[in-house]
Amino acid sequence: MGEVEILSREIKPEDAASPVDQLVKLTVRDLEKLPPPYDKPGMEPELTDPKPEWREKYATDLDGYIAIDLPWKPQNKEEEERLVKSFLSGLNKLLTKEGNWTFLQPLLLSLEYCAKCQTCSNACPIYIMSGKQEVYKPTWRAEILRRIWKKYCTPAGKIFGKFVAGDIELNAKTLLRLAESAYRCTLCRRCTQTCPIGVDNGLISHEIRKLFSQEMGIAPKALHELGTVQHLKVGSSTGLTPDGVRDIIEFIEDDIEDKIGKRIKIPVDEKGADILLIHNAGEFLSWPENPAAFAILFEEAGLSWTLSSEQVAYDAVNYGVWYDDLQLARVAAKHAEIANKLEVNKIVVGECGHAHKAITVVADRVLHDDIWIPRESCMPILWEIVKKEKINFDPEKNNFPVTLHDPCNMVRLMGVVEPQRKILRKLAPQFREMEPHGVYNYCCGGGSGFAIMTSMNFPEWRNAVATRMKFKQVLEAFKDCLDPSINKYICAPCSNCKGAIRDMLSYYKAPERLSIYYGGLVELMVNAMVDLEEPFIEWEFH
Amino acid sequence: MLSALMALSYAAFAIFVIVVASKWIKWSSMPMHLRWELYPVPHEAGRHHYGGSYIEEVDYWKKPRETTLAGELKDMFSEMLFIKRVYQYKRPLWWLTYPFHAGIYLILAWFFLLFVHGILSVYISIPALATIVYYLIQICGTIGIIAATLGCIGLIIRRFSDRDMGNYTVGVEIFNLFFILVVLLTGIATWITYDPHFQHAMEFMKALVAFNAAYLPKLTTIAKVHVVLLCLLWIYIPFTKMSHFIGKYFTFHKVLWDDELNVPGSKVEAKVRELTKLPMPWSAPHVDTGKSWDENALESPKDEWGRWRY
Repeated sequence: MGEVEILSREIKPEDAASPVDQLVKLTVRDLEKLPPPYDKPGMEPELTDPKPEWREKYATDLDGYIAIDLPWKPQNKEEEERLVKSFLSGLNKLLTKEGNWTFLQPLLLSLEYCAKCQTCSNACPIYIMSGKQEVYKPTWRAEILRRIWKKYCTPAGKIFGKFVAGDIELNAKTLLRLAESAYRCTLCRRCTQTCPIGVDNGLISHEIRKLFSQEMGIAPKALHELGTVQHLKVGSSTGLTPDGVRDIIEFIEDDIEDKIGKRIKIPVDEKGADILLIHNAGEFLSWPENPAAFAILFEEAGLSWTLSSEQVAYDAVNYGVWYDDLQLARVAAKHAEIANKLEVNKIVVGECGHAHKAITVVADRVLHDDIWIPRESCMPILWEIVKKEKINFDPEKNNFPVTLHDPCNMVRLMGVVEPQRKILRKLAPQFREMEPHGVYNYCCGGGSGFAIMTSMNFPEWRNAVATRMKFKQVLEAFKDCLDPSINKYICAPCSNCKGAIRDMLSYYKAPERLSIYYGGLVELMVNAMVDLEEPFIEWEFH
Repeated sequence: MLSALMALSYAAFAIFVIVVASKWIKWSSMPMHLRWELYPVPHEAGRHHYGGSYIEEVDYWKKPRETTLAGELKDMFSEMLFIKRVYQYKRPLWWLTYPFHAGIYLILAWFFLLFVHGILSVYISIPALATIVYYLIQICGTIGIIAATLGCIGLIIRRFSDRDMGNYTVGVEIFNLFFILVVLLTGIATWITYDPHFQHAMEFMKALVAFNAAYLPKLTTIAKVHVVLLCLLWIYIPFTKMSHFIGKYFTFHKVLWDDELNVPGSKVEAKVRELTKLPMPWSAPHVDTGKSWDENALESPKDEWGRWRY
């Protein structure tokens, strides 16, 4: 393969159709600078090119990175025509009540009323930290979809053409870039907060993803084939089976005994408990100390609770919320069905942001009749444990610098903001906020599935670009104590955020250079328990 | 007898109202969507200042909702009257868009005052009020047309000079701004050359209110051109996205602030029950095309679910 052709001028929305190989090529020098000590050269890895052979079948046409790890690039004219036809068929379905009652009104409002004022651009951490690359601007992908919609689906666009719809050509390149660009947005919806008209460019990314998935099954494998499909077929998007989860729970019981000198029997499949607690199954595999800490707190506080070992119900994740309404409904219905079978009073979601939003808020209008059950966040319950002094805590045990990462799904997208902060103000004497925080926070960079999309070269883009703003915030939050002799703790009460933060810290070698570690909220709570003789937090990077 | 200009004025107003109403009906009759609220939601009593929601409570679905209309109105009016978000997040643009929008609001107030003045001239005589209205007409008309014109010129220059905006602007959006500018400039020309105290505008409105062309002033050519263009603009606006005042109500009140809970026996649940009966038209391998959303949601997994095709 010869030299890769990159567009060498200012990029506009109509350039989505450009015949060049790649619209933009990123280098570290293009990216927004990081604060000290990362302001010096050599503190972060150089960015790499995609493997030449990937260009043949995968969509490297946007920026060289591949989120959709399927070989879906058309190989001839017939395939290209078929792709365009399928896309237009999907777009028309996206505009009908039958196909898209779920988001029809919000989508059409956002397509119709954008004033192109670009007030939203500077709210986007990816656009800013990429050095303001046009293709990451919240309006770039939205404008491409808007122009296609105007041109092919509205009477004004059909009559007046370019005058109304703008310049856009619909070919394979346009669609490959449009689909990939929908996976350069974490759906954090920070841009929407700034829009004077309430236009939602995050939603447009979501709808583009959905069109490709629901019409063609085109989505990153980690979200679809290995995500929701595996979740529904095997029991968890991690591949964890019911037998596997029972084994891990036993292991966690042993581990708790080792750590606190007392055996706790973790309730599993207990009918009639008050609470069905559902963790992100990633916790069982990567951070078992998190379900262990929940078990310690819930048992010590005397709550009536259970875990489930039934397929799907031991994994709180619902990747459907990021790309496919049907898959969202399937997972949510299964969670509710199993909870009702267990005769619990409510589902409580563990430390997993998107699972919070998916089952509590978004799926609220999917569940009905026999598949309805109350659902709530674990945060208010955890705060009640502290507030009502159900357990004795000694904040001095947490006397090290702590900052809080707000998962977007928990704060901006469902308004659970204060309980976790109240806990930290009470139990972490050196707690300091990131700026901005709460509902105006920045995404960890792993949102909307990015944290679990680990194939091909996507993690490089995530670490270098998507998580960059979070890393900047972390460095600023700890700027008074960067000395590596001081252990510092990023409290990230969300599994996917933890995954992204783990990779981010590792990419920038922050544990060894600066002693910055991360973990959940419950681990900090257990660490502060008076009854514990040894610290629960072990300051190991994993 | 009605003059042609009067007939056009009535028609423009009627078409404006009818199209705005039909758009309102179109947006309000759309199916209920999934919840997609965005915090801060201003009607959350006691929590809005930090962006919290009722979900911060244990067993929130059992508890009475505490909402505040005042919070919602405050947010709504600060956005409508002051374009708060542009002020906060894109100040250089605010210096242009604010005079433009504030000028339009004042011109709308000017129309309303002309109408009141017409009523006072034809049907009810309250001289003291008529005098107050007369002076308000001078203030609103003068400030309104100057502010809107300067803002409009500024926005046009910005569209061409700021590539961030220009690269995304399509022909019709430039046309819209120029259309408004031409109407404003003909208005200024009429004001300066023919009607410095809006006396003739008041007489024109009096004729409209009385349905009597006898009250019509003798209009100059530029005044006639202005009235015709203004009427055409009134007719045109609701068909375009310049009617974003309608969309804005729905984006905020019916999407970003819609946090209505679905509980058993509620209206929301009844709507969910109906909507999930709709057949799914989608064609991906994991969709059973033609079966309802509910049937699809409750299906057992199949091997082909993980495949893709086009």
